[in-house]
Amino acid sequence: MTRNVGIVGGGHAKWGVREASYKDLIQEAGKATFDDVPDIGPKDIEGLFVGSVQPERFAFQTHVAPMVAELLGVDVDSMIARTELACASGQAALRYAWLAIASGQLDTALVLGVEKMNLPREHMAETQASMTNVMDREFDGVNGLNAPPYFAMIAQRHMHEYDTTREQMARVSAKNKSHAAHNEFAHYQKEISVDDVVDSFELSPPLCLYDCSGVTDGAAGLILMSEEKARDVTDEAAWITGSGQACMASNSINNLPSMSAWPQATTAAEQAYEQAGIDDPLAELDVAEVHDCFTISEIIEYEDLGWVEKGEGGQFIEDGRSELDGDIGVNPRGGLLGCGHPLGATGVSQALEIFNQFRGTVEDERQVPDPETGLIHNLSGSASVHSVMTLARGRPQ
Amino acid sequence: MSDENHNDNGTDRDVVEIPKTIELPRLLDFYELQDEAHTEIHEFYDNLRDGQLTTTQCRECGDLQFPPRIVCPECQSDDLEYVDLPHEGTLFAFSTLRAGAPIGMEDDVPFVVGVVDLGDVRLSARIDDAEYDDLEIGDPVRLKIVDIDGPTDQERVFYRFEPEEQ
Repeated sequence: MTRNVGIVGGGHAKWGVREASYKDLIQEAGKATFDDVPDIGPKDIEGLFVGSVQPERFAFQTHVAPMVAELLGVDVDSMIARTELACASGQAALRYAWLAIASGQLDTALVLGVEKMNLPREHMAETQASMTNVMDREFDGVNGLNAPPYFAMIAQRHMHEYDTTREQMARVSAKNKSHAAHNEFAHYQKEISVDDVVDSFELSPPLCLYDCSGVTDGAAGLILMSEEKARDVTDEAAWITGSGQACMASNSINNLPSMSAWPQATTAAEQAYEQAGIDDPLAELDVAEVHDCFTISEIIEYEDLGWVEKGEGGQFIEDGRSELDGDIGVNPRGGLLGCGHPLGATGVSQALEIFNQFRGTVEDERQVPDPETGLIHNLSGSASVHSVMTLARGRPQ
Repeated sequence: MSDENHNDNGTDRDVVEIPKTIELPRLLDFYELQDEAHTEIHEFYDNLRDGQLTTTQCRECGDLQFPPRIVCPECQSDDLEYVDLPHEGTLFAFSTLRAGAPIGMEDDVPFVVGVVDLGDVRLSARIDDAEYDDLEIGDPVRLKIVDIDGPTDQERVFYRFEPEEQ
């Protein structure tokens, strides 16, 4: 890539079941983002990239990128678009902003991810209907296959093929939700134990309620700059060192390569590692925010991001290797399990967490010791697409 | 202004009435409109209505697709034919949904959903007449075809599976 691109700041709205509208969430995240970078204001933004999955369904609104521009006072004079890639929409927006700056189209971009998912409780079926159409609605969604039973089958197959245990999955949730308890914007604010997870409502066995990320309202923003411009406003940035994606001509059940492995994650990670010059990811990465939409997801990601042999993901968490002081600190933010998963905002928030870990601005209880390199990962839909980005504290040569 | 337009709040403001409820909107009906006027894979649904589960296969390169297509994704040929799929298979994976069902399926909870291995094709399906706790991976299941009674005059059908009597 031709130019270095850095994340120079960002901010969050409060996440949760919010007494706030889609437009309120945008404004809260926008203010927090600009407050974080005092030398950059809305008039400095040349490109605007909005990650949002289903505003048409959740907020009855389309053409949302110009709505963000209006609400935040951004005069776009180069590029403006919304990205939709289901659960990876935030990272997709970030990826396009990076590409636009790296290729010289613009120097300063705002990335904003937002989702308003909670309708009044009596309308949960409508929200869930909107989550059931990320696979092939005609042949998969029609069977009532929303996320919990689908990922329950992934868990079932992984347990069947690799002897992954109920307790190993519960450890992922206990770890991540306990991190979120020390994260002020996170949806869930309570430390929980392995027993709490196993004893929670058995929603879609083998998955219990605490194995699942929540239905959450939230928004997050990032400001990205070219290296030349970034020098004028800050000494500290999270530099994007690599970015990869993969989809194997599949979205519906019959065409997925596996129900216990995600080779797309391996391909996407290898692209990013190669760009970043990472030979041994487990040794060279210090902190990671990976897509723990369900506990089983994080276990499969340890394997398919190339950190351990296939089938050893359960042992990886059991041995504490993904704890803050382990081989790699995984989901110190609290992950999707602890922060909630406002679809379009998640990837944006993950990248901001990596920057905050680099600059040491997170709560002490969830700070990874002196991280220099980081990774974010999202899967989307039936895990048919995987997106991986690597970041570094030091400026790439 | 007429009396019936007065609101109940003791003011003389006009009342704008919008429907309290609406019927299931077209785009929240999970089932496709299945006839020739709406989909080019209507033959799949015609065959299912006649009692046979089918899918498409490319006459040029032999690629078998599911879901059925109108263009072969391997060789881009549009010369596809419908071929029969077996009506017996085995459970590759399954779970159940005990809360949080999509619109129109709330009354079905809890229901079992699974992935059925038919040999050349592995498809997701509702597993009827089954309890989650009674099932195991590898259990034999067989096709059942159901009529869909919904917000359209079309005679629609869909496939489900049920445990094979042992």
